[in-house]
Amino acid sequence: MNADMVIIDYVAIFTVGSLLVASLSLSKRAAVRQSLAFYASLAVLAASLAFTLLNLSIYLLSDSKPSYTNLFHVDPLSYFFAFTVQIVSFLVILSSRNYMWGDRNLAVYFSLLLFSTLGMVLLSFAADLLMIVVAWELMGIPTYVLAGLRKDNPFSNEAAVKYFLLGAFSSGILLYAISLTYGLTGTTNLIAVLQALQGSATQLDPLTLLTLALFIAGFGLKMSVVPFHMWIPDAYEGAPTTISTFLSAGTKKAGFVVAIRVFVVALPFLSANWTTAFAILALATMTLGNIAALTQRSLTRMLAYSSIAQAGYILIGFAVATEPAKTLALIGVLFHAFNHAIMQSSAFLAVAAVDRTMGRVSLDSFASLWRRMPITSFSLAVSLLALAGIPPLNGFWSKLVLFTAAIQGDMAWLALAGVLNSALSLGYYAWVIKRMYIDEPISSLEQGKIEEPPIISGVLLAATAIIIVVGIYPSLIYDLAKAAVLALG
Amino acid sequence: MIFIPIVGSVPVYLLGRLRERLCEIASLVITLIVFALSLYMYGSLLISKEGATFHFVEGPYSWLSGFGVDYYLGVDGLGASLILISAILSVLVVLGSWDLITEKKPIYYFLILLFEGSIIGVFCSLNLILFYVFWEIVLIPMFFFIGVWGGPRRKYAAMKFLIFTFVGSVIMLLGFILIYLFTTPNTFNIPELIGKIPFWVQLLASAATFAGFGVKLPVVPLHTWLPDAHVEAPAPISVFLAGLLLKMGGYGFIRVNLGLLAEASRQYAWIFIAFGILTMFYGALVAMVQRDLKRMIALTSINHMGFVLLGSFTGISASTAQAAVYGISGAIFQMFNHAAAIGILFMLSGYIHEQAGTRNIDELKGLRIGMPKTTLVLILGSLAGMAAPMYSSFLSEWMVILGAISVNRWYALTVLIPIFTVAYFLWMIKRTVMSPLPEHIHYHDLHNRAMIGLLLYLVPLFLLLIFPSLLLGIVDPLSLWLYQAAGGGR
Repeated sequence: MNADMVIIDYVAIFTVGSLLVASLSLSKRAAVRQSLAFYASLAVLAASLAFTLLNLSIYLLSDSKPSYTNLFHVDPLSYFFAFTVQIVSFLVILSSRNYMWGDRNLAVYFSLLLFSTLGMVLLSFAADLLMIVVAWELMGIPTYVLAGLRKDNPFSNEAAVKYFLLGAFSSGILLYAISLTYGLTGTTNLIAVLQALQGSATQLDPLTLLTLALFIAGFGLKMSVVPFHMWIPDAYEGAPTTISTFLSAGTKKAGFVVAIRVFVVALPFLSANWTTAFAILALATMTLGNIAALTQRSLTRMLAYSSIAQAGYILIGFAVATEPAKTLALIGVLFHAFNHAIMQSSAFLAVAAVDRTMGRVSLDSFASLWRRMPITSFSLAVSLLALAGIPPLNGFWSKLVLFTAAIQGDMAWLALAGVLNSALSLGYYAWVIKRMYIDEPISSLEQGKIEEPPIISGVLLAATAIIIVVGIYPSLIYDLAKAAVLALG
Repeated sequence: MIFIPIVGSVPVYLLGRLRERLCEIASLVITLIVFALSLYMYGSLLISKEGATFHFVEGPYSWLSGFGVDYYLGVDGLGASLILISAILSVLVVLGSWDLITEKKPIYYFLILLFEGSIIGVFCSLNLILFYVFWEIVLIPMFFFIGVWGGPRRKYAAMKFLIFTFVGSVIMLLGFILIYLFTTPNTFNIPELIGKIPFWVQLLASAATFAGFGVKLPVVPLHTWLPDAHVEAPAPISVFLAGLLLKMGGYGFIRVNLGLLAEASRQYAWIFIAFGILTMFYGALVAMVQRDLKRMIALTSINHMGFVLLGSFTGISASTAQAAVYGISGAIFQMFNHAAAIGILFMLSGYIHEQAGTRNIDELKGLRIGMPKTTLVLILGSLAGMAAPMYSSFLSEWMVILGAISVNRWYALTVLIPIFTVAYFLWMIKRTVMSPLPEHIHYHDLHNRAMIGLLLYLVPLFLLLIFPSLLLGIVDPLSLWLYQAAGGGR
């Protein structure tokens, strides 16, 4: 199938679907507004997931070459990320059945989620800087609304405003970087940029450096890279927890795929500059994220900082994404992005379950949780261990690949920092597990069993199963990531 | 063999939800099956006298293709003997837990079997990453054992244990990655790596693995988690900790440092030996001043594990093959013996704590009159701990010291260590056993089944004293091979 058809199909599925879902909110009957919207959006995502998987398997089995248009690249890399973000949206929409139920604007909520997902999918395919901006905005703008969906909750409002301001800021920076690129090379197509820079690679004028810096800052805001991370904890805490899941596991990943396209594909000649920058950012991001997470009292905030730290591990891959470690580093980036999407979704949704049933997520409310909510606490424990990188869970393998790439790319100090950070992170992950399984309940009132929200529990078990299966059989994702990286050339 | 306990753990848990008694019996059956299998494996290695090469090899089956990670198992003399002692201790620990563990039984036995499976996995992995995977799985049941079933300071001890060992092992992982990247062919498979690793990689990797193995063994500056973890863990789990978990460190030193990083180990053996001697003295001297019986026993382990480090590294740097075999075989022998000896002591301290209500050596008085059977076991066990010539632990310490002396005369200093050990054990016995029974105290004595369970720990020690070749027969060829592969005797 050629590239245009693939993209048109995606756009058609999502646009029709989400407009349909949005129109349901006009209905007077609550059942239509809620149940029908829920099932319709599930159907849309299921269709697009099936479409992605189908195309991907056709692609891999028929041994075809990547196809291009001016705006899009259709290669395994794009399918890989499209697949990852769609899984996340799928899990989020399913969990919303329990978490958001009863909200007045549910149909709008689902429709916005679908639009944002479309933005992420397009972003995975985009190969032109202008297309990247369009998709970037399509992904971002619905989430600003989603973060502030609880209009009467001041925290939700604060989260939305903060997120919106910084999001708009990042789009501005990105546009500026793109216009500079256009000025330098006379094109916005990534391949053309690559060709234009081929000759003038060695002479580095200040303008090129400024462009690089602006790109890093623009993407960094979404990828939650220190020092552009300030909005993350507040936004994740204030937004509905399902939306925090979506932001942390979904939209952030989209930031990484564009970063691969822009830095690794289009600007490899400037790698001497951006690898150093990414190495420093990786170190700062993981260290700061982990240290800040250690001191948090609320689990949402802790996970927000842990999410920042995980972005730091992924950045290690960018720091060594040049020869000789390029292949391994990019495999590590893809693999960890996938794993992180699953682990982080599982952890955040477990917190959503606790939030829904108990109404608070301070660390104390997790004391002795295993008696009260066994499924939730089990999944949370597994995903936290996976985030810490304990084998044989999925997080271990991708970290192993990343650290190996770091040593291969002559940045052994980065690998050392990475493993020490993993050990540091185990400090707070294990602390939560200790709360849930070892500590006594805070007060004697809180001992009764709580009925766990059934769909979230199902989603959690599914995510836990993925974590364990990928952990035991890592080739499943590793080979896919490898195919994606090799096709990149 | 790994998967019998791991897979079996699930039905045991489910049975336990049904009737608690059932899961106790089921886990005993499973550990017995594993014991029989490991005995068969050990026996066939012993009869074929081929302890130096890998047998019962499974694989290599590609696990993460293109990354050198294979599923690759096999045992040699070292692996087989440690698997055997793991299987023995698992049976005895399950038996001992019948009395001492009263809460949350299903999940407890589930974790016991998970622990047994993964520790056997550690001892037979022939791929460094597979080894690391099992190495880390061991942590998780242990964290819960200490944290859930432990003593008053269990939370602190569990966290400290987890963080210490995890930091050590991730640094060790870096060492493995180094080995993988800078050796041709790029692989994590141990048999293919032997003798191929460049010298500078060996040096760096030795430093990295020292962190991982040194925390587990433990070597003295890295040991501070051990007293806390051992004291807070319930008695059967202390047996696992001291008997098996510490052996992971010793196993790692012999398998990786002596086997793979041989030239570096040979050249810089004096560093490891210095740490070993420091560990021995520290353990012995600190054990002497302990008030808590269990803490004293925990420190005994540190003292004894120093012998392992001393023995293996004097062995690898020895100038004659005879001395090398004494040192390395002595170290392996010492691990085996220590596992059994420390097992009886820890279980006993658990029983004493349960029956007397205290483990404070100063408060335990007149045991001779109060609990005669316990006293008998305590004395027999202490004799094993102090390596009296009635047990094989005497032989192993003697071998290590003999090997050390033939490397350097000054190592004769280590003869002092058994003297210290005897001193603190005897002093403990004097205070607890030989004192008058205070009038207001009434002890309950051990019941017969518990006593038999305890005495079973001593059987291998007796047996190996009389027939040391039962173990040395499969270990000696390995020691000789390690020594020659490291370039010794040339």
